Amino acid sequence: MLDPVILAQILWTGIATSAPYVLMTAAFALTLKVTGLWNFAQAGLMAIAFYTMFFVIDALGLPLVFALLAGVVVTAAASLLIEIYGLQVFRDRGSGSLTFFIFTLILSEFIIYVLTLLFGTEPETLFKSILSPVTIIGNIAVSDWDELAVTTAIIGMAALYVFLTWTREGQFMNAVADNARLAELYGISAKRAWRVTAVVAALFVVAAMYLIGTHGGVVPNSPLELIITAVIGTLLGGIGRVFAASAAAVFLGLLQSFSILIIASRWQNLLLYGVLFAAILLFPRGVRMPRWRLILAGR
Amino acid sequence: MEYLATIGVLIAIYIVLSSSYDLVIGYGGLSTVAHPIFFAIGAYTAGLLAIHAALPALLNVAVGGIAAMIASVLLAASALRISGDYLLIASLGFQLGLLQLIKNLDFTGGPGGLMAIPGAVPGAVRTPVFLVVSWLLAAATVFGIRAIVNGPYGRAITAMRDEELAFTALGRNATSMKIVIFAIGCGIAGLAGGIYAYYFQYISPDQFEVLQSAAILTMVVLGGMGTTFGPVVGAILLLAIPQAITFLNLPPGIMAPMQGIIFTVLVLLFMFLRPTGIIGSARKTL
Repeated sequence: MLDPVILAQILWTGIATSAPYVLMTAAFALTLKVTGLWNFAQAGLMAIAFYTMFFVIDALGLPLVFALLAGVVVTAAASLLIEIYGLQVFRDRGSGSLTFFIFTLILSEFIIYVLTLLFGTEPETLFKSILSPVTIIGNIAVSDWDELAVTTAIIGMAALYVFLTWTREGQFMNAVADNARLAELYGISAKRAWRVTAVVAALFVVAAMYLIGTHGGVVPNSPLELIITAVIGTLLGGIGRVFAASAAAVFLGLLQSFSILIIASRWQNLLLYGVLFAAILLFPRGVRMPRWRLILAGR
Repeated sequence: MEYLATIGVLIAIYIVLSSSYDLVIGYGGLSTVAHPIFFAIGAYTAGLLAIHAALPALLNVAVGGIAAMIASVLLAASALRISGDYLLIASLGFQLGLLQLIKNLDFTGGPGGLMAIPGAVPGAVRTPVFLVVSWLLAAATVFGIRAIVNGPYGRAITAMRDEELAFTALGRNATSMKIVIFAIGCGIAGLAGGIYAYYFQYISPDQFEVLQSAAILTMVVLGGMGTTFGPVVGAILLLAIPQAITFLNLPPGIMAPMQGIIFTVLVLLFMFLRPTGIIGSARKTL
């Protein structure tokens, strides 16, 4: 019989460690929703975000606030450049999905090679020590990092909800996501919506990489592996459902955390790929939750 | 001389890989990145058989090709059942998942790789034999694919790729054709893997990572996707250019990313400036 405290601890740790996944899945799923592209360049952006912050802290010796600022500016600029001078060029040409895929994947690899040349392949963390003070709450160990991660994810997702629902830019993004041509007939600029999406996604990428970089070592190649979680979350949540995709990322985090009860930790990544296949084969349009409003209304 | 011969074997192997990948991605229009994993399946199958079973090398290489073919059918049959785009994601997951499996299994040598694969040809004739065999396989692959795509089946492949809806409306089964193309391409990659394992006598999971996908993709895009000789030109160029850098005697920590930067910059330049590659028609667009 498993100790409830241990189970509660695993649950909490799983939720906390899934926080960066939630943010990067939101970025990936939002981009897919609005632009219709599986944008693997996001892996390159994740690497840019981390190494910009690392450079500012480690090489320049500046405080964290400058690192975050630099991370946001550089990553958002890179994201916009990719959108304007890369993806838009292929859209104008009428290129197929394969071209977008090749472009975004190769661009990510180019960025990763450049960063490997500059920073090497040793794992780096944003701070010298990644030890985080721990508080015991009801027999459960809660670290400062856990609190920061969960708070950041909640605030980030709430802000995204408000942005998409209540602001004109967000509503335009939704309109373009539904039907870009129709949206343009109503005077909404699809190009502008795609560019705003690129910037919003960059903000989420920076937040995710800050959390990842303060919790463990990152190498230039790490984002290519991390983005698989975002892909699986997006598939499980269903294409076009950003918040469901982020919830799926929490499920993946919990699945990996609880898996230590039955399998060795070295198999945890394999579990992720198993979920990927299950998602593709069993839930190609995402896992649909029951519509409680309709059920309660007796329909 | 041995060094040049090794480059010769590598070029032949990469011609096989890039040409077979072009059959899948260029002619078949199937979005996949997992070609290196079928190369790995062939290499590991042949390598493991060489170590544990006293079978002729050619038979082991053939079994490697068949194993890759079976794995590709399993992947394509499940992913294509839903939608073509899912093959791309499924292939990436399949590649990373299988590599993870290889890294964690003891009998595959784990992350350290499979070492001391017995040599197929002893003595001084080893290198010339591998040169001949690998180039024969390269020639057979290039001209075999050319024969397929120029024949009636090839015209059906092109029709399926360009107008799948119309192709299906004519009563043809697009999914089964895609699976056949995928199986042929991946099976050939498996054969190349077998020869690779026997020649180098050492294989490790790192040799089949996503970066390898980028390298093969580069060869196809650079040479000309959907052309017979484009992948050949791409493979020769992309294996020759990094050799030029080796003469600079740069440390390995700089050499590897430099080669990667050259690969990726070439692809990006070609995608923007000449999307059809060196051999492809200038009128077509990617």
